[in-house]
Amino acid sequence: MIGPILALAATATVPSPPLPPSPAASAPVISAALTDTTVQVKSDFRGARIVLYGAVFDAAAKPSDVVVLVRGPEQPVRLTRKQKVVGLWLNSRPVVFRGAPGFYRAASNRPLEDIANFGTLRRLGAGVDHLPINAPAEQHIETRYGVRDVVVSSLGPDYYDWRRAVVRLKEKAGLYHEDGRGVRFVDRGLFRAEIALPTGAPTGVYRAEILLFQDGKPVSSRARTLTVEKVGVERALYVWAHDRPWSYGLAAMAFALAAGWAASAAFRRD
Amino acid sequence: MDIYLPIAEVAVNAPLIVLLGAVVGFISGMFGIGGGFLMTPMLVFLGIPAPVAVSSMANHVAASSMSSVIAYSRRRAVDLRMGGVLAAGGVVGAFAGVELFRWLRLLGQADLVVSVSYLLFLSVIGGLMLMESLGAILRRRRGDPAPPRRDRRPVWLYGLPLKMRFPRSRLYISVVPPLTLGAFVGVLSAIMGVGGGFVLVPAMVYILRMPAGMVVGTSLLQIIITTALTGVLQAGRNQTVDIVLATLLLLGGIVGAQFGARASARFRAEELRAILALIVLLVGLRMGLGLFLTPDEPFVLLSGMG
Repeated sequence: MIGPILALAATATVPSPPLPPSPAASAPVISAALTDTTVQVKSDFRGARIVLYGAVFDAAAKPSDVVVLVRGPEQPVRLTRKQKVVGLWLNSRPVVFRGAPGFYRAASNRPLEDIANFGTLRRLGAGVDHLPINAPAEQHIETRYGVRDVVVSSLGPDYYDWRRAVVRLKEKAGLYHEDGRGVRFVDRGLFRAEIALPTGAPTGVYRAEILLFQDGKPVSSRARTLTVEKVGVERALYVWAHDRPWSYGLAAMAFALAAGWAASAAFRRD
Repeated sequence: MDIYLPIAEVAVNAPLIVLLGAVVGFISGMFGIGGGFLMTPMLVFLGIPAPVAVSSMANHVAASSMSSVIAYSRRRAVDLRMGGVLAAGGVVGAFAGVELFRWLRLLGQADLVVSVSYLLFLSVIGGLMLMESLGAILRRRRGDPAPPRRDRRPVWLYGLPLKMRFPRSRLYISVVPPLTLGAFVGVLSAIMGVGGGFVLVPAMVYILRMPAGMVVGTSLLQIIITTALTGVLQAGRNQTVDIVLATLLLLGGIVGAQFGARASARFRAEELRAILALIVLLVGLRMGLGLFLTPDEPFVLLSGMG
């Protein structure tokens, strides 16, 4: 990856941007910015839509692909599988998957598998199939057929079913999404992508990685951060409930009992 | 009118939640039950994470029970001493139940235990109550004389030590059965996210043989004490009480409970029991259905890390 850092956040309508000073002046460079860098979660929060703008600067004007990867804070996932035991559907032992971001979105100007090969996508974690999700507690390393350091999962051949289920359930909740048409070139070298955050999006720091691909190789990248945070009353209640849970619990119960008593007093007929 | 819940981290339709609170509050005031067995499944159905639903429900049940217990106590229909003994057992049961529930969640078997408990308790109790109350209604329709009231209470109720006088209920019995009953209901309240009135009310009628007029008010008193403790424990141990959700629910709940307590005076006791039995039975069967139907999605995400 070429890493000349461009100090300019590209605005939407720069016709011929100044090329950044760098030893390889002719190297292609990508630049991007988010319309919002913080998302405030208030009582009327119903998700948010963030627009990402960017530009590709390439003197050689080679065919370029743009991939945008947005990752939320990591959240371990606990998953169970329903199994039929003597006619009843029961939960299996839960399996913990690590490395799963709480939010993930991969957007590109054409399907990822057309842009780069499997190995490159896997290395970059680009696309829901290439997320570095695994269940370390289920794995052990052993020697098989004389081959050392083979990673074996105790989930056996079902391992991929489990892993796919993590992605499928997260996609259903609107937390994971892969969109092969999510990046649109609006003008020569100028592109735009939308990031839709559902109501259930976790709070924390999100990292957006914007990658420029040429000939199936990532040639330039930028990183942007996005902060999703609770504000106002929502934040105060959340912090209270988590930092001083006992006083919160007592206050909540006292309030409930007082409300019940007040209602009965208000409805008293005499 | 959607509102974002800070602890549950989902948005819900506020008027719908208030309405749900009112309906459950009405049922609660009418039958002298907490209504948690209806509320918890419905909240989960609306997309609220189960641990948050179970915990926040405790606040709502405490509030609506509080609002109706005062109405009952004015009619002198609460046996404070019996309520106190039941609640003493309930406190022990609630502590044990919250720990048991944490352990079950760790094993990933909380769902199973909840479904089986609902199926077992609700359908057995609902079925028994329905048979008994339908029998009573039919006898009255036919004009048959009521069967001679079996005032002879079970012998073991008298054989046990630590006898205590309960003047309001005109009972002189050992404290062991009400203590055990209270503890059992306390465990259920933590595991099933219910107040336990649906177990308590029939047990007080058929086992302790309390006068019918005292049962509802007294069970509400025991429910308040048990759910108040459960609610605080859930907040302290699991941080799963959503005060915004609880407030929305109790806005409707306390008003509904008032109307429910008044409406109960207009029905005959056996008719009330028949309606309650039907509701209990249906909820129990619905909750247990999941054990037998092939799930669309075999994998389930578990909330929290235990």
